[in-house]
Amino acid sequence: MSIEKHTMWSFFSSVKLTIAALVLIVLVFIAATFLPPDDVVQTFAHQFSPGAAEIILFFHLSDLYHSPLFYLLMTLLSLNLIICSINRFPALWRQYKAPHFPEPADSFDNLPQSLIVTEAKEVSKIKLIVKSCLEKKYRSSEEVDTEIGSIFYAEKGRFSLFDVCIVHLSILVMIAGAIIGSIFGLEANINIKEGESVNIATLAKGDGIQQLNFSVRCDKFIVEFYEDGTPKTYRSDLSFIKNGQVQRRGTLLVNHPLTFDKIRFYQSSFGAAPEIKATVTYTVAGKKSGSLALAAGDTFDLPDSKARGVVLRVEENFMQMGPAIKLRIISQKKDIQFWVFQQLDNLLAMKPDLLKEMPIFNPGLFTPFVFSIDRVEQTYYTGLHLVRDPGIPLVALGGLLMIVGLIIVFFISYQQFWVRVEKEGAKIRISIAGRSNRNDQQIQKRIDSLCRQINEEMKT
Amino acid sequence: MSHTMILSWVTFIYFISFVLYLFRLITGKEFWGRAASFLAWGGLSAQAIAMIIRWRTSYSLGIGHIPLANLYESMVFFAWTIMLIYLIIEWRTKSKIIGVFVVPIAFLAMAYASIAPGIDNRIEPLIPALQSNWLTSHVITCFMGYAAFAIAFGYGLIYLLKNLDKDKTEKPAGFLEKLPALATLDTLIYQSIALGFVFLTIGIMTGSIWAHYAWGSYWSWDPKETWSLITWLIYAIILHARHVRGWRGKRMAIFALIGFACVLFTYLGVNYLPGLHSYLRT
Repeated sequence: MSIEKHTMWSFFSSVKLTIAALVLIVLVFIAATFLPPDDVVQTFAHQFSPGAAEIILFFHLSDLYHSPLFYLLMTLLSLNLIICSINRFPALWRQYKAPHFPEPADSFDNLPQSLIVTEAKEVSKIKLIVKSCLEKKYRSSEEVDTEIGSIFYAEKGRFSLFDVCIVHLSILVMIAGAIIGSIFGLEANINIKEGESVNIATLAKGDGIQQLNFSVRCDKFIVEFYEDGTPKTYRSDLSFIKNGQVQRRGTLLVNHPLTFDKIRFYQSSFGAAPEIKATVTYTVAGKKSGSLALAAGDTFDLPDSKARGVVLRVEENFMQMGPAIKLRIISQKKDIQFWVFQQLDNLLAMKPDLLKEMPIFNPGLFTPFVFSIDRVEQTYYTGLHLVRDPGIPLVALGGLLMIVGLIIVFFISYQQFWVRVEKEGAKIRISIAGRSNRNDQQIQKRIDSLCRQINEEMKT
Repeated sequence: MSHTMILSWVTFIYFISFVLYLFRLITGKEFWGRAASFLAWGGLSAQAIAMIIRWRTSYSLGIGHIPLANLYESMVFFAWTIMLIYLIIEWRTKSKIIGVFVVPIAFLAMAYASIAPGIDNRIEPLIPALQSNWLTSHVITCFMGYAAFAIAFGYGLIYLLKNLDKDKTEKPAGFLEKLPALATLDTLIYQSIALGFVFLTIGIMTGSIWAHYAWGSYWSWDPKETWSLITWLIYAIILHARHVRGWRGKRMAIFALIGFACVLFTYLGVNYLPGLHSYLRT
């Protein structure tokens, strides 16, 4: 039992497993980027061989990033990381807590250029100088007395012993964040026509829907283009409505998401709605009505005359005469149809007899109402992407840890220095030794600089 | 003089600089090395000026943005970062030998940017997805990483070249003798890879933060994202193999070449796959 456990443990803690898992993950990624997307594979496979389609479905080849194979590899890698870290930690902790005295054997043998011999000063004074130099450079120092003389100790960057642990932990934290996000997160899309509000979103994966406990209204959608026709801006003006009240208004742009009720909204697409809308007003006895936004097929009631209007057509440019709508008005006595032009004044200026020749172009045909249009425009829908991802703080924390960890791995080392002050007859000998947990050339430079500093201090 | 004119001159200057580095290697005379370096620094400064002019021009066209927004601009910046990192290393190591292997990469990038079919050097306006402050930090960090890997590639080539000669008992012939020692090259390969790895990590992360704001997800398995991760993993494997299993020398050199092939695919090859990073497609 214990042997079995031991082999399992050593299997999961081996670096060979790490390398094998990483290589396999790389291969999966390469395959995934070259395999065409889901729908293409499906049609292709169905057309040519149903057997191939089954294989593709079984191995999730068209979506390797969410396949059992990929999850298995990620699990192996995570276990490997965890077990390696558990294995390494006690030794690291012992190293972290290791006593600084006595210095490692042979530290003071074969020292190049890090030796000062002097007879000018008292031992106690020299000790003070050494101590102050060390403290100036490395903040604190320790001291012990041995039979040979006194030994001082200073160090730098002890926490860098944990560098690799920090990097590995950061990967685990990010994986945890990704898992939390995929389990508890929400990803959905909604399309909202201008002027309408929606409180149901379609889930991004599968066919499900998500009922929101508020609704979103698209007040306006705007696309702007540069002179060369490249899109410049996609902008949605949104209102978030909860309990019948607008709680927040905001402008949504690409790269500038909005957040409401812990859900982030992204501008993801847009499209032209099938209908064109006209803004229509009418006047009765010199009094102007409020404006109506009407699309073809819409109906409206005319006050005081028990008449009902139907919009038959809305045109952006009718017969080169500009924006126009065709209305049908039904009352108990009449049922008439006529056109309303936005630029009627211009048309009359060009052709004063227009209304006599074409009575159907008279916007006042249904007396006493005179209709007019303020504008006719294409309506758009805006495509919003909704995201709620509770894993993000963990992923961000993981990212931060990784950067810190890598900087420590590559640029910071644990440096230890021992300075021995001993009496040799009338002379006093100061020897400096140092070591680092990495193979770096810096350590000798630092010893030399410490040497110079002590020399200078002694002269003054 | 327009900035494209300056950039053409810079391409030429890098080529001459490469030739001078070659003279330096073959003749062993320090004069050629100094001249090559001088030209390289000159080219680097002229290129910086050209990029700044392009930046200013974009503002005068009313579509102002930093010149890092399409394939042409990124290629020019790639060449610039390669030269910058190389010249810093040259200045610090005082060795003008490896210029022969690094400067031509910058030259080729510049030449490719100007003559490859379909690479448009016009200043284009920024589409909405690119209108973000993260553009600058993402592109700069990624290309610093790419440049460091390009330099590791250069060192890898020298290593393999010199290694060919290792087993011969007689004195190595000609210029191979003048190349740096194998151990030095090994350290330089490692250091460039480490530098590139840190930059690539930061580059992927800034990209991820940007994606969070632009697309609503910090990771979408877009082919470019996936390939940047593949590149990252390959360099991670190299670093682990070195630290844990003690890989040195020839293996590191070969991996530096494989890693750079991945970098190039991430940068250029991926544009032929469908995905979200299509601004770079030509």
